[in-house]
Amino acid sequence: MNQASSVTPPPTRMSSSPLKETAISIIWLLCALFAVVTVFFILLYLVWDGLPLFNEYGLWPFLAGVTWSPTFDPPAFGILPLIVGTLLVTAGSMVVAVPLSIATAIYLSEVAPYRVKVLVKPAVELLAGIPSVVYGFFGLIVLVEWLRVTFDAPSGESMLAGSILLGIMALPTIISVSEDAINSVPREFREGSLALGATRWQTIRQVVVPAALSGITAAIILGMGRAIGETMAVLMVTGNAAIIPSPITNVLSPVRTLTGTLGIEMGEVAIGSLHYHALFALATVLLVITLIVNLGASMILKRLNARATGRAHAGRTVLESIFRHPATSAAPIALVALLVVAVIGSMGGPYYAGAALLVVAVLALVVPRLSRARSQQLAFLLIYAAVGAVLLILAIILFDIISKGLPALSWEFLTSSPRDLGREGGIFPAIVGTLCLVAGSIAFALPFGVGAAIYLVEYQRDNRLTRTIRTGVDLLNGTPSIVFGLFGFAFLVLFLGFGVSMLAGQITLGLMVLPTIIRTTEEALKNVPQSLREGSLALGATRWQTIGRVVLPPAAPGIITGMILSIGRAAGETAPILFTAVVFSQRYLPSSVFDPVMALPYHLFILTTNVPGSETNKYGTALVLIMLVVAIYAVAIVVRNRYHTTMRL
Amino acid sequence: MATIPEQIIETRGLNLWYGPCQALIDVSISVPARRVTALIGPSGCGKSTLLRCFNRMNDLVSDCRIEGTVSYHGTDVNDSAYDVVELRKRVGMVFQKPNPFPKTIYDNVAYGPRVHGEKDRAKLDEIVERSLRRAALWDEAKDRLGDSALGLSGGQQQRLCIARTLAVEPDVILMDEPCSALDPIATAKIENLIDDLKEHYTVIIVTHNMQQASRVSDYTGFMYLGELVEFGETLQVFEAPKEALTERYITGRFG
Amino acid sequence: MSSNHPQITIAMLATAIVLIGALLVAGCTGTGGTATPTPTAAPTTLTTTAPTTAAGTQVTTTGTTVAPTVTATTAGSTYIPGASTGKISVTGSTTVLPIAQKLAERFMELNKNADVQISGGGSGVGVQSAGEKTAEIGMSSRELKDAEKTKYAGLKAVPMARDGIVVIVHPSNAITTISLEQIKNIYTGKAVNWKDVGSKAQPIVVIGRDSASGTREFFTEKILGKNATTASMLEKNSNGAVKSSISPNPGAIGYVGLGYIDNSVKALNLSVNGTEVQPTTENVVKGTYPLARNLYYVTNGDATGLAKDFIDFTLSPEGQKIVEEEGFVSITRTA
Repeated sequence: MNQASSVTPPPTRMSSSPLKETAISIIWLLCALFAVVTVFFILLYLVWDGLPLFNEYGLWPFLAGVTWSPTFDPPAFGILPLIVGTLLVTAGSMVVAVPLSIATAIYLSEVAPYRVKVLVKPAVELLAGIPSVVYGFFGLIVLVEWLRVTFDAPSGESMLAGSILLGIMALPTIISVSEDAINSVPREFREGSLALGATRWQTIRQVVVPAALSGITAAIILGMGRAIGETMAVLMVTGNAAIIPSPITNVLSPVRTLTGTLGIEMGEVAIGSLHYHALFALATVLLVITLIVNLGASMILKRLNARATGRAHAGRTVLESIFRHPATSAAPIALVALLVVAVIGSMGGPYYAGAALLVVAVLALVVPRLSRARSQQLAFLLIYAAVGAVLLILAIILFDIISKGLPALSWEFLTSSPRDLGREGGIFPAIVGTLCLVAGSIAFALPFGVGAAIYLVEYQRDNRLTRTIRTGVDLLNGTPSIVFGLFGFAFLVLFLGFGVSMLAGQITLGLMVLPTIIRTTEEALKNVPQSLREGSLALGATRWQTIGRVVLPPAAPGIITGMILSIGRAAGETAPILFTAVVFSQRYLPSSVFDPVMALPYHLFILTTNVPGSETNKYGTALVLIMLVVAIYAVAIVVRNRYHTTMRL
Repeated sequence: MATIPEQIIETRGLNLWYGPCQALIDVSISVPARRVTALIGPSGCGKSTLLRCFNRMNDLVSDCRIEGTVSYHGTDVNDSAYDVVELRKRVGMVFQKPNPFPKTIYDNVAYGPRVHGEKDRAKLDEIVERSLRRAALWDEAKDRLGDSALGLSGGQQQRLCIARTLAVEPDVILMDEPCSALDPIATAKIENLIDDLKEHYTVIIVTHNMQQASRVSDYTGFMYLGELVEFGETLQVFEAPKEALTERYITGRFG
Repeated sequence: MSSNHPQITIAMLATAIVLIGALLVAGCTGTGGTATPTPTAAPTTLTTTAPTTAAGTQVTTTGTTVAPTVTATTAGSTYIPGASTGKISVTGSTTVLPIAQKLAERFMELNKNADVQISGGGSGVGVQSAGEKTAEIGMSSRELKDAEKTKYAGLKAVPMARDGIVVIVHPSNAITTISLEQIKNIYTGKAVNWKDVGSKAQPIVVIGRDSASGTREFFTEKILGKNATTASMLEKNSNGAVKSSISPNPGAIGYVGLGYIDNSVKALNLSVNGTEVQPTTENVVKGTYPLARNLYYVTNGDATGLAKDFIDFTLSPEGQKIVEEEGFVSITRTA
């Protein structure tokens, strides 16, 4: 190669010394390790502060106790009801989110005409940009009330409300990431199946979705992480009574989640008290649950992958043959159906349960006997219904916010400081603050995240190190936002001495969105065909040149999707900045990153919870926050669409 | 070749556009049943496009527009009432790049019958074996039916794709440069296979390789810039082409 | 064509990153790299508002408080308006936050060079921030805990306002008066239907504050004593959230601070030893309303400088007037 360069004119950017390549790969390794180190730090910090509780109160009474009354005398720190509540609400949210999301993802990638798709996809992503406080508020005012009236319950604050709300909040993540995964299934698979005379629906169900399963599972894990870690919204709608529902299928029972407990009690608790340590022990448990859920999910994923591609051993287990056999492949569906019947039964009594059972039975008899064309019609009908439901949800929430927020909007509102506790005046400093926080967090997380993903996909495919890193990333993803807030407060604000500052908030938010960026980038990189890399390497390009010029460009839309989701989340979160970055008011705009800032979600949070008589400005703030997110999205979406058109084969 | 074979697929005045670009210009061709028909021509001449008209795979291209008729057994397949799924079941296709699904060998072959409603395990077993035998893959694959199809070599994958196509019992098999990604040995196997197939099936093959066309086909069509320049019995097209353009292409003296 | 793609796409990625960078720069450095006040809206609003108020050309909706009066009344106290400079951070209880914010707004009108930053995370955060000295003043809706006093020996709590806790129900509820005993029965789970306390039959939905809240602690101490709260109580982490839960729900009962009462909920009179007491500021001042408590500023050691000025302003007559305007009860007012 050196001889060649002596003949040809000196290449402009062809320095390919092995040293540089090694240095680059080490940089990416460090990026990847960063995530793990962060998780380790957070975990250490939680365990350290939780330890006194285990010593004084004991592990078993803590885990298995059924009473949580930390300020009673004597205090009781039993978190079993909280664990049960968390699991129930999370499982419920997935029951809501997974079918809707996957149906919508299929619609976007397989069914929708291009012109519809470019409208629906951003609309769905908009759901990610609605701040969790707004969701909580919407849930409390609209959803809870609707449930109370519909089911004639004393109160709508319940597990069901939490599940529905968290399900909605997990939608954009699952939809976006699954859609990217389905999109990247090679066209040859679809053609191969259609050429055999399979219907579109058969092709989707039996070839496309199984081929995209890895990405879809990643999407569900990301969505579940969002559901488990959500704090501000869930504590507004679940009622927070620390009881185990009785019977367990009573979805109208109030429940209390682990995150809700943290969100409610963390701010008020006396530092250093046993109660304080109990909350850290509780956060540790939450992280452990997240770990178990993630490990479980990745094990299922591995199993599914092996089964789908036939890499598993030739003999089959009983379970597999049940799932494989066409006649019994509906077993999981039947299981869910029975569960639904049980839930309906517990809500409405035996008559409702009987009616539900009848409906299920009729469906079970009729569906398999449908002709192929009919079953495709039915499937597409359900898909349209799911998409319609998602859009309807978006429309309801947006209508609520816009109709109530529009009167507040004025030039003064956008350009002046708040007066009279935010009832008067505007929110200009909060807009500036939120822009700074979001930009800083993305600027912080994007290089780390993309770097880590590059390392995981391009340099190391699968070994113990990458598995550790991935587990770390998944854990980070499942870490509740409030824990990031606590960690940021203890580590950045106090230990590193940043003080309550913009920088501390940016880093805390950056850590929070890091896993989203890593996972989406990873998926995007994985979907770049191996032949492209080989083609480039075969031309004598170095590894980094190959990545930079051949791999990253086609992966860019996926990376931008991750960025969009991250922006939405960072802009709307309250919990991580609550203790690290924000003030409710300040006289001057921040002059450096070491100054605290105002932020829209925090402003909204305070208006909602502690300023009576601020209705109009509250909705105005929510509306501005959403418009801000939309504006940032718009840029990202335009960029992504340009990519899609230039990169389309 | 004494008797004139019946025509199974016919096009009349077929024009096709991808967006603003016209890819087929007034193509009329009658493909005889139970024979091997080869379509040859330089890259971009429209032969793959024509092939994809026969089972309406061009439906998948969003900005594709068609004029003229494509009839299968005398019925216009572009008619809106025509069941495209049924058409594709009868007119199978093997692609340029082997595209087995990421499933087991068994599931790949059983895929077609299953989507067409076959659930009986014993029947499926039988179909899988028969199809693999016809595709000359049985001996190599019979002990690893539960393995991933992606673990097969390129030639094996392509024969698997042929077996997959055979499993749905089509009339016609469309092959889009099926050997272009294969080595000579694998190519020879596929060519032998094609020879066997014409006993039961109509085969239409698009190929770059003129030797291959002359070896395997009974009829040959030469296409150039979207037009069907010449169509006739292979022997005639290769030995005594009527068109000067065809002769120049076949003799390799092409501008 | 294909050779152009990488350049185009990389350029676009670069554009995206630059755009984000630009946002960051615009947000952070664009507002002025130095500590001098910037000519953006934030200070402008405040500086323009102050003179008009002082000159009396604009009558504020909240009343007669104008600058000259203030100067006169506070002349004798330790607080001297206009002389304070610097920057302090006040953080903690979200219950106290609205008062502190209003005080800060007025304080900064009077002191052009002072910057008082208010934030809220909870009483615990307030005490810790004061203890760690990340904030000059902490706000707390409860007294200092032993654990906190042990950890930060220098902590001082200064009462700065009083708050009355009001029991509220849905406006449609027939009940108007409730006894402490009845409240106790409801919150311990003994009374589960409104007919048990003399209203129309309907299940009671019990709503209360979270277990870490100062309000809850106070309520428990005053009403429940040693009895445990019913496990089915719905817990809310703010006054606003309690009110939002009760205003649409006909069966609900809860408690919030005096400042939160409006016509979306119904405030109940308390029956104390047979006499009916309305939840009003006057009754809190008189000491006849039983559910009243103090709110605190917390400092680590004695407050100095701007922090001291701000506390003095809070305790000054004008400061206490603002406390009352926000629906709380002056700490200095006597019956």
